[in-house]
Amino acid sequence: MGALGAALGALGRYLWSGWAGATGLFCVAAAWQAGHEAYGTFILPAPLDTLRALAGLAGSPAFHAVALDTALRALAGFAVAAGCGSLLGVVAGYSFSAIRVLQPILTLILGVPPIAWIVLALIWFGASGGTVVATIVIAAVPIAFAGAVEGVATRDRTLEAMAQAFGAGALRRFRTVVVPHLVAHLFPAWTTTLGTAFKVAVMAELLANAGGVGGALARARANLDVAEAMAWVVLVVAMLLAVEYGVLHPVRAALERWRDAGVPWGVKR
Amino acid sequence: MRLAFKAVGHSFLGRTVLDGVSFTLAPAETVAIVGPSGCGKSTLLGIAAGLIEPLRGRVRREYARHAAVFQEPRLLPWRTARDNIAYGLELRGAGRRERHEVAARLARAVSLAAEDLDKYPVELSGGMRQRVAFARALAIDPEVVYFDEPFTALDVGLRRTLQDLVVDSARGRGFASLFVTHDLLEAVRIAHRVLVLAHRGGRIAGERAPPGLPGGRDERLVWETTERWRTEDALFAHVFDAEERDERRAA
Repeated sequence: MGALGAALGALGRYLWSGWAGATGLFCVAAAWQAGHEAYGTFILPAPLDTLRALAGLAGSPAFHAVALDTALRALAGFAVAAGCGSLLGVVAGYSFSAIRVLQPILTLILGVPPIAWIVLALIWFGASGGTVVATIVIAAVPIAFAGAVEGVATRDRTLEAMAQAFGAGALRRFRTVVVPHLVAHLFPAWTTTLGTAFKVAVMAELLANAGGVGGALARARANLDVAEAMAWVVLVVAMLLAVEYGVLHPVRAALERWRDAGVPWGVKR
Repeated sequence: MRLAFKAVGHSFLGRTVLDGVSFTLAPAETVAIVGPSGCGKSTLLGIAAGLIEPLRGRVRREYARHAAVFQEPRLLPWRTARDNIAYGLELRGAGRRERHEVAARLARAVSLAAEDLDKYPVELSGGMRQRVAFARALAIDPEVVYFDEPFTALDVGLRRTLQDLVVDSARGRGFASLFVTHDLLEAVRIAHRVLVLAHRGGRIAGERAPPGLPGGRDERLVWETTERWRTEDALFAHVFDAEERDERRAA
């Protein structure tokens, strides 16, 4: 009962904190509206018109397939990038020589603009979902990797020695001492990875002519339908916000409830 | 015999920290190791606890379970006091119910309130954290406990309370302990025997046994023994000097 109550309380606090987030979003909408009033409908359609265009799009039969395409590609790219990047990062974090070898490789990968990867991926995979996912993975892996390396490298070795003194083997030490610490570094990295995944997905779709929201954006641009273009942008942002605040943040909050305990009474969250 | 060091030596990057260290630890015996800071006390304890592989000599252990209490509490910050106390049990595969039972029992033994068990380490005071760390060591029912200056960071009154707790638990549960400290008064209060590490060279300079048994010595005897050793016994001269230097630096 106590645990359930605490969980409900945490959920309630989380939902209540949504007001603050909504405030930020409405500020953006207000600035958008101001821009619309200053420059006119053709340059910047009003937020409400954009939402109406989005509602219109949502009514069309192809909409769900298009949105689902992009969402699945972005999530697949995110899953592969976060999984591989974190795994490699954890392995590298334990070995200073591995960090030294991999660091320049990462800088190299990060230094190549995503657009170049798209061209290469187009040659390798053709104009398909594979190109999009591959571009996302290449663009996003270094972020997850860096987060994992940082997490493992900054682990508390005195706690590891304690665990060893109590008879914990290497695997147990990793699970009970390193992983909880790692989480604090991985989640911010994963948030960035996720954002990158959605951005790169749309860009790759547009440039590779691979359908999805990117393809729809290209079509809207060709028709000079600014409201529709904006509607697609809003849709991608909404998907990103939904995954980040619907999945990543609640999971993190649940895993890191102990941090709240250290916040002095009366500090506003 | 629980533990035996035979001519154990160790170096870090070519600098000798321990050399030819031999001693034994009998069942239910408390041996204190004193020496100035940087004389290799913690290395010695690390070797005994299996955290450091010595470069020379042999260590023989004749027991099934040991536990350790460190200078810092070293609690897992993401676990409640209860789960911290039960950590060693969990590593041994104990079930949830057993872990909670043992944690509750040991919390009482170290005078932790029941409601503190649900708190995270950040919510506990320094003394309570060290109590949790001690309870964690007792939880696995160890035959040997290694103490690495566990009470240095605590104030005098609390230190006394926890020293008594260690002495009582050692007598009640019958575990042997190796207790590293740079506080001679503490060593005299809790130990059967006191080993003195030399300031340089990492050797054992000598050994003394305070009169009486731990727990049976009154304050006056502890104080007088400490003073006598400090002022009259050449063995402790360098420990005392180093300590005085530390105090002067702290002041």
